[in-house]
Order: sequence, then C-alpha cells, then structure tokens
Amino acid sequence: MRYITWLGTGVKIILVLLLVLFGISSMRQLWLGSIDIGDRGTERLDQWETDMQLVREALPIQRGLVGYISEENVESVEFAYWDIETEFLLTQYALAPLIVKKGLAAEWNVVVLKDDDLETWRQSNPGEYEITKIKGKFSILHDLGNP
Amino acid sequence: MTLLSFITFIPTVILGTLIVHLIWPEKSLTAILLKFSLGTGLGLGISSILYFLVLQIAPGRVNMLILQAILLIPLFIASYSKAKFPRIADLQIPAMSWLQWGLFTIFIASLVISGLVFVNYITSRPQGVFDAWSIWNRAARFIHRDPENWIATLSPELPLLRHADYPLLIPLNVAWGWDLLGNETLRISMMQSILFTFGTIFLMFSALASTQTLGQASLASVILMGISGIVASGTNLVADVPVTYFVLASGILMYMFTQRNEFPLLILSGFMAGLAGWTKNEGLLFIAVSPFALIAAAPSKIRQSFLYYMAGLIIPLLVILYFKTLAPANDLMTNSGASLIEKITDLTRYELIIRSFATDVFRRETIFLFIYMLIMWNGFAWKRWHGILALAMLLVLQVLGYAGIYLITPYDLEWHLVTSQYRLFMQIIPLALFLCFSISTDPESVIFARKQVDS
Repeated sequence: MRYITWLGTGVKIILVLLLVLFGISSMRQLWLGSIDIGDRGTERLDQWETDMQLVREALPIQRGLVGYISEENVESVEFAYWDIETEFLLTQYALAPLIVKKGLAAEWNVVVLKDDDLETWRQSNPGEYEITKIKGKFSILHDLGNP
Repeated sequence: MTLLSFITFIPTVILGTLIVHLIWPEKSLTAILLKFSLGTGLGLGISSILYFLVLQIAPGRVNMLILQAILLIPLFIASYSKAKFPRIADLQIPAMSWLQWGLFTIFIASLVISGLVFVNYITSRPQGVFDAWSIWNRAARFIHRDPENWIATLSPELPLLRHADYPLLIPLNVAWGWDLLGNETLRISMMQSILFTFGTIFLMFSALASTQTLGQASLASVILMGISGIVASGTNLVADVPVTYFVLASGILMYMFTQRNEFPLLILSGFMAGLAGWTKNEGLLFIAVSPFALIAAAPSKIRQSFLYYMAGLIIPLLVILYFKTLAPANDLMTNSGASLIEKITDLTRYELIIRSFATDVFRRETIFLFIYMLIMWNGFAWKRWHGILALAMLLVLQVLGYAGIYLITPYDLEWHLVTSQYRLFMQIIPLALFLCFSISTDPESVIFARKQVDS
C-alpha cells in the first residue's frame, strides 16, 4: 500500500516538474516568436493617414456623408479586392467623424484614382463636377448636380 | 507621452480598487493584490460608462479627470471610515518554502519576458491589427473628434463588417484619454491594453494565491502567459483581451462566493459580467449563460444569490440596453425565418462546427493539462464542488453558445470559423485554466505528501 502511495506521489511530482518545464518552454517560444518581427504594415498606414490628412483639411465639411470613388467604380480597371477594401477602410479611419460611403454618394466625394482612370470614370458618369487635385491619386470631387 | 498615458489611467484604477474594497473589505495581502487586479478592469468599465453618460448629458464639456477626482473623494472617505484600509504592519509577507520561492521566481521572470514580448510586438505594429483601427479606434475617433455628434459612430451607413453596433467600452476610454491629453496618441490604446493584459495575469495569480497556494498561483500564471496567447493578443489592441479579463473576473468572483459565502462578491461578479457585455457582443452571451452557473453555485440560496448578482449586473445591463436601442442591428441578425430553419436542420453544419472546435480543444497543451488535471485531481470536497460546477457550466454553456451562433451565421460557415474561432476560445482559456488549477492539487501539497510518505 505504501509503495502505491509512493508511486502516486512520484507520478504527481514528475507531472509538476513537466508542467514547470512546459511553462518555461512556452515562455521561451513566446519570446523567440517576438524578436525581429519587423514592420507589419505600419508604414503604409501612416503614409495613407498623412495623405488623407490633406484631403480632410481640404474638405469643406466636418460632419455627415462623403462619397468614395476608387478603382472599384471604374469598369475597365482590374484591382485586388482586399487592397481596395483596405484603402477604403483606411480612408474611413482617417476622415472620421465623416462617414465615407462607396460610390458617388454625396455632394462631396473623395477620389482615389490615377488621372486617366478618373477620366474613364467621368466618361461613364456624366455630370457637372468640380475636381480639386490634392496629391498623387487623391482628389476631391464636388458633385454640382447634388447640392 | 507614454508616462502621461499611464498617469491618465491611475485615477481610474484607484476608483475601481476603492469600489472593490468598499464592497469586499477583506484585508489580507493576497486580497489586496486581487483588489487591484479587479479594480483595474472595474475602473476602466466604470470610467467608460461615466463618459457614455457624459456624452448623453453634456458632450465635450466635462473633464473626465476632474469627474473621477470628484468621485474619488467620497470613496476615500467611505473606505477610510467604513471599510478601513489595512495597516501596513498587518500586511506580513508569509514565510515561503524553497519550492514557492522557485515557482515565484519563474513567475516573475515570465512576467518580465511577457513585458518584453509586449513591447516587441507593439513596436512592430503600433496601430494594432486591422480591426483595431478599422473598428475600435475608428469609433474612438468619431467620439473624440465630434463628441456632440458621437452617435455618428453607430451609423448604419458604415460598412457592415466594421460593426457599428459593437459596444463602446474600449473606444470610450480611448476617446476620453485623448480628450485629456489633447492628442490622438496611440499610447492611450496601448496603455489600456497593457492594463487589461497584465490585469488578467495578476487576476489569475492573486485569485489562486487567495484560494489555493502561492506555488499553484505562480504555476498557473506562467502557463497562462505561455500558452493562452493573451500577451500577443493584447498587442492587437482589440477587445478580445478585455472581454477575456471580464469573463475571468466574473467567473473567479462567482467561484470565490461559493468558497467564502460572502454575497457582496456576487455584486462584483454581476458587474463584471455586465462589463463583458459592454465590451463585446460575446460578453452578452456570457451574461445570458451566467444565471445557470449561478444556480449551480448556490442551489439552496437562489433568490438571495440572484438579488446580489442582479444588483451588480443592473447598471451595465441598462447601459447596454439603452445603447442597443441606438445601435444598428448586428450583422448576425440578418437571417430570415426560412434560412434559419434550413441552417438549424443542416447536419453538415454541426459536423463542420464540431470538427473545427476539436482543433482548438484537442491541442497538445490542452490534452496535457487535461491529463494533469485528472491525475492531480484533489478530490470531491462538497464546499468546492459548487464552485467547480459553476465554472464548468460557464465554460460549457459559453462554448455551446458559440456553436449556436456559428450554426445560424449568415456568413459562409467555414470562413466565419477560420476568422473568429481562435479568438472566441482565447476568451475562455484563462477561466478554463483557473478551473484546471482549482481542481488540481497544488505543488506544495505534492512535495509535502512525498516527505510524509518518505518519513
């Protein structure tokens, strides 16, 4: 009987030791997984924020809805869905508390298109617009027919 | 800015700790650490509710630091006159065996490593993950930049998957922190995340040090840091770790009630459950399942238990209900009646969910801990049985709730499981670990038992 108790206790001691080793090993893995990670998309996000700050300052409204025109709205342009979606969400994040809605959705619209793509979009969306170039592919489109 | 962000939350933590002390005036050393751990989350929850009320009454015109300072004065007076502060002379560090010193040293070393890991991750991605900026900090910006029109953050015009309906505990704290510092610094989000991440670790440590032994508390906390993913997840700057914290806090308090028969602990448990719901929608599921666990916790005093539990739950619950009247419908509620029946009767969906859940349940470390728990099982003590049953019910019902939500999800089930299941399980891992280490014999008893056998 004494040997059985001794054996049971021995097994428990081994288990405790194993758990301690398991804990130490897990901490080591956690540490190793965290070193030399490098940048994980921060640069792109910061750059977008900086560019959108110019758009935000140029927009005459601080509250309400603004439209968002991108490659998604130009039929002939091929685009990667998640890139476009991420840019759209980054724009929403940067322009808060304005609510950004895809398409020509309001009087004031943010355009993220190269010049020739914007021209293609204009041909398929005739109307009276005032376009203010901000920087690179960023512009503001004032829909004069939607006051 | 890091120091200022830290200072910003000091009154919040003190506020929460004093409230815990007033409700539960226990004065032992481990209880004090437990109170700070509980006070951290409670303070952050209360400050978010206060700021939410400020937005309804006088948006942009109340300084949260002054408001919290005003509230601290009566709390200090009440604590001093009624609950009394413990005297330093009474707070003696208990004598520790070589085993306890060893395990405690490993715990402290793991804590330091966790701190460094947190810094490594957060410096590589200060904005947090995709959801951090597109959901949580986006909402914080809406509130901070235009407090008078804060409700715009709930606009149904916002993209469906950016969850305008999500509760506001996290963004509200970030927004008032920015208000206070006059700067949209990411350090505020990081500091809040540090408080919740390390609050969870200290909660586990101090609760097990109170209910079990120092060795058991150290061992459990090292395992928590090593396997739960809580440290890395904390740097994501989303609401998963905060909801994990509140689920753990509510469960621990319910368990401690069963051990000590002190009903005020249930007030805190209810409040913590409410704050889980005020943090993320999964917390609403926790609120729904917790009454069943409460029945298991106190079957002979159900009425009294519910009264105390509801006394704590009612304030956050009312805030949530009011918030839900303003928020758009949740994306998971877009099912029509016919499609709902179709999904519920589709057996392949059950199979897919079970298979997917099995990948998280039958992991190497989970199997090891399960075997550990079975062999180290420290017997059926009737007093502990109710607490263990209550925790087990919380965990099982929460998992069943997750399964139910997946069953009726309007999204592609496989995609939904792949993108969210890990996070959902992470929210209950600390509570599962607390249960595991509450059931298991502590390392001190194992060593002493060996000495007795040898002699």
